[in-house]
Amino acid sequence: MRYRVLAVVAAAITLSAVVATTAPSSKAAGHTLTVWLQVDAQNGWPELVAAANNAFENSHNGWKVNIQYQQWNDHLQKFDATIAGNDTPDVIEMGNTDMTAYMAAGEFANLGPYKSSFDNSAKWLGGLKASSTFDGKLYGVPYYAGSRVITYRTDLFKKAGFAKPPKSMAQFQRELVKVGKMQSHVKGFAPMYVGGEDWFTALGWVFDYGGSIAHKSHGKWVGTLASKKSLAGLRRFKAFFRATQPRSSARLDGTNPFPYTVFSQGRTAANYGPAWYTCCTGKKYAKVVGQFVMPSHTKGKPIPGFLGGSDLAVPIQSNSQAQARAWIADFTSTANEKALQKKGNIPNATSLLGNSVNERAAARSWFVPQAKHWINVQTGNILKTFLAQFLTGNLSVKKAAQVADANIAQTLNEP
Amino acid sequence: MTGRRIAGGSVPYLLVLPVVLVLAAILGYPIYYLVKLSLQKYGLLELVQHHGEYIGLDNFRTVLHDPVFWHVLLRTVVFTAVNVGLTMVLGTLGALLLVRVSTWVRLLLTTGLVLVWAMPPVVAVQVWSWMTNSENGVLNYILTDVLHVGNYFQHNWYETTFSQYSMVTSLVVWGAIPFVTITVYAALSQVPHELVEAAQIDGARAWRIFKDVTLTVLMPVPMLLTSLSIIWDFGVFTQPYLLIGPGQQTTSNYLMSTYLYFEGFGKSDFGIGAAISILMLAIVAALSVVYVRRMLRVGEEA
Repeated sequence: MRYRVLAVVAAAITLSAVVATTAPSSKAAGHTLTVWLQVDAQNGWPELVAAANNAFENSHNGWKVNIQYQQWNDHLQKFDATIAGNDTPDVIEMGNTDMTAYMAAGEFANLGPYKSSFDNSAKWLGGLKASSTFDGKLYGVPYYAGSRVITYRTDLFKKAGFAKPPKSMAQFQRELVKVGKMQSHVKGFAPMYVGGEDWFTALGWVFDYGGSIAHKSHGKWVGTLASKKSLAGLRRFKAFFRATQPRSSARLDGTNPFPYTVFSQGRTAANYGPAWYTCCTGKKYAKVVGQFVMPSHTKGKPIPGFLGGSDLAVPIQSNSQAQARAWIADFTSTANEKALQKKGNIPNATSLLGNSVNERAAARSWFVPQAKHWINVQTGNILKTFLAQFLTGNLSVKKAAQVADANIAQTLNEP
Repeated sequence: MTGRRIAGGSVPYLLVLPVVLVLAAILGYPIYYLVKLSLQKYGLLELVQHHGEYIGLDNFRTVLHDPVFWHVLLRTVVFTAVNVGLTMVLGTLGALLLVRVSTWVRLLLTTGLVLVWAMPPVVAVQVWSWMTNSENGVLNYILTDVLHVGNYFQHNWYETTFSQYSMVTSLVVWGAIPFVTITVYAALSQVPHELVEAAQIDGARAWRIFKDVTLTVLMPVPMLLTSLSIIWDFGVFTQPYLLIGPGQQTTSNYLMSTYLYFEGFGKSDFGIGAAISILMLAIVAALSVVYVRRMLRVGEEA
């Protein structure tokens, strides 16, 4: 008898638990739009995400937006897993270097017929539009672009006697060395904090000297890092890196700590990176942060910067493609793009371009080879290995470049 | 009595059936699927279409012809040997220590060990990564400013492959010691005290007693622990992947698990990934079969 009572009690508890857990979810009774954005949005412009969500939820009764922030390092692996399970997000932010492989695999919905529903779509940035287009069809909406600029401590440079931005790379290097000597009382001070393996930075030197990464000849990809011009740029980068790092071996991985963190701790006078770095250089230095365009070795020119950028795409597995398109339209509205521009990004349309330091830096830019397997060069960390090899002196610049060329050719020529 | 005889033939099979079914579902099906995948060309295109194309043993051929695979295999075997060796030696020493100390110290030590064992690897990696950070890490600070053993200011502990794996080894061994220590300690309490006493009376020294009496009685336990450790350390992923960093993994520092991850998931080439998984499974089985067999023999003799 006792056991029967116990059983009834247990059943009642279970039942009430079931009721309790199902009740609130049945109240919501709506639909959810799942959106994958990169953490950049979370750190840099969360209010713009919120604005788009509000606009979307107001015009779509009963819909909720679920933003899931992702990391660049592994978002594609996570994305693949969702494809296998037919449980993809409805909208995904893709790096412009990531798009080709997925467009070729037929993973994204064709947005061509709806192009006019997105603000400024007639004037999208050429580079971003190209990264969203495959076989003449449109698979992504340009989100924003960014070049790289120098973020620096105006007070330190002024104190060292440099009131104006440098005109050439050599002049900049001399100034950095002087600032470094002036600040030598700060332990571990680096006049410029650069991660040696940051290939987005290092390859700027290659392109500045007229070099390149790889090109296609007779239907085959050939690595060109060991070409004469590329080598000149790499050697110049090595010299610059060595001159501006107190203990260069420690600085191969420039992401731990992050450059702007070192800046905010007062241990560097300059960073080279996206213009939005000013977000996080610290309150203490808010009044003495300036930006200028990284100068080329040719006087008066900017160094070619990597034209990074993001596109927003709709996976074909999504059951809410119309809503996904509507959210993208809200998120890339003219108002939002202008706000992104104020944060130090390049907006997605030429009609919105201004004359900010970021936009001036984009005057000379470079991009990765448009090869189907390029992404494997990135995920395989081929370029990082290459840079580490010659910056540490384990291999000569030339030898390291030859090894990298062979690796790049092998990766890009895979069937 | 009669009922028992009638049921005799089928009851044992009926009783074992649920376990067999569960095993088939949670182990058998994934392995079947893995084998199927390893025989297919299955990349991004096939993933999107949910349909692969059979290509026989091509994936295995590709992997076995990849020089990186053989380098990684050698590195992983060395890494496993070092980690398992250190874990077993330090873990056993810990257990011997536990036997000697007072109850209070034993309680304190055991609590510490359980806490280490309970710490999730991801959390441990964060702590390690923070301690060994080149700019702000406490390790460099202690070495340089407290102990004055040298200038480790901004020393990068993740610069060379050897240094990277020294860090990973310290983390893996640290995390694995508690299990070994507590298990060996439990086994030590099973060694008959009369045997030890008899050996002492016969004039045997501490090392001799440990080797010929304690270890002989204990043998099945370290055997089991070693083979389990081999299985764990050969496939360890979280610690090397996160501590060295996803952005720092290259062909010159892959372990089997990270190699599998980058070839399979990183390049979205799931057929190749499945082939590497099966090869890994076969290697681990081959490595541990020696131990399992010896363990069984020791068990029979005892």
